[in-house]
Amino acid sequence: MTPRYTELQLDALRELANIASGNAATSLSQMLAREVDLSVPRVLALPLADAVDACGGPDDDITGVVIPLDGDIEGVVLLLISLEGAETLCRLLGVDPQSDIGESALREIGNLLGTSCLNALAAMTGLDLEPRPPHLTTDMLGAIVSSLALTQTAPAELVLVLDSELAVAGEPCSISFVLLPTDGAVSDLLKPLGLAETTA
Amino acid sequence: MGTVRMGEIEVSSQAGEELVARGLGSCIGLALIDRRSGVAGMAHIVLPEAPSEADPERGKFADLAVPELISRMEEAGAAVRRLDAVLAGGARMFELGDMDIGARNAAAVKEGLERSGVSVRATDTGGNRGRTMRVTVGEFRVRVKEAGGQITTLFDADGGGQPESGRSAR
Repeated sequence: MTPRYTELQLDALRELANIASGNAATSLSQMLAREVDLSVPRVLALPLADAVDACGGPDDDITGVVIPLDGDIEGVVLLLISLEGAETLCRLLGVDPQSDIGESALREIGNLLGTSCLNALAAMTGLDLEPRPPHLTTDMLGAIVSSLALTQTAPAELVLVLDSELAVAGEPCSISFVLLPTDGAVSDLLKPLGLAETTA
Repeated sequence: MGTVRMGEIEVSSQAGEELVARGLGSCIGLALIDRRSGVAGMAHIVLPEAPSEADPERGKFADLAVPELISRMEEAGAAVRRLDAVLAGGARMFELGDMDIGARNAAAVKEGLERSGVSVRATDTGGNRGRTMRVTVGEFRVRVKEAGGQITTLFDADGGGQPESGRSAR
């Protein structure tokens, strides 16, 4: 069945995403010693094809850092970084983006942002959430988002996308921060807030 | 225009129109071509099997999408015995979970084609890269671009069923 979320539930998820990505922005700012701006997060419950379109052009090349979640809930955190943004991040950290060190720096940024996001979610919900080691890939956006969503969600259901933009001030670098929880995970996130799903 | 999104099926006999499945990951782009009647069709298939629930989206699941695309081709004037099938996609983008959805998708699509007696002329499936597949009605050439790679011709209906490039026809 297609789960439907009430406005109140979506608001609560938006607030969770806001605090989680805020925490991630603070970590990134400390790591780079730069100001990092954060957009108000979007919370979208969409069919898969629309969820992909909401993230960007399906065959645009993009760098993705995937952080699978471990612990009380299932899902993935996905950072989408433009190719230019990935180069900027490496430059700010003083490493060559084309090298192994560049890749490992991006993976490390993924790890840091994923962990700080999860720590915030864990603190708010009382859930035990651990990041697993990140995967790094540069590929087509649609291929990344659809393949990940398909490992998370049953086919007939809507995909829940929580995303916000982190922008490094004064630099051509924005990072889109996407949380793709499984359906079970959404209830688990809402339960501690007293907003577990009541509709189906 | 011409973009075939996930779970969609498009059929056209309008020369010059392009059908494109963009950003295929574990999904399969299936192109069917009947050169004689000038019809081409494309499905962007997401999963191998429809769930048992009532009223699943027909274009999304290989077991329903393959016969659906074939019957839409017939409605547009194509003949099943003349159909050439070309597949792209079915990658395993991430080593997450035990299921290789891409490989299962490719197998399910091939099985469906075989059941309907449609010949597979060329495939570019598997691996771990995303792909975009396009066919232009009237030219009947199927081109594939892999993420970060060049555009290659996977199948050319004028070329007697052999791909132009070094890619393998299976």
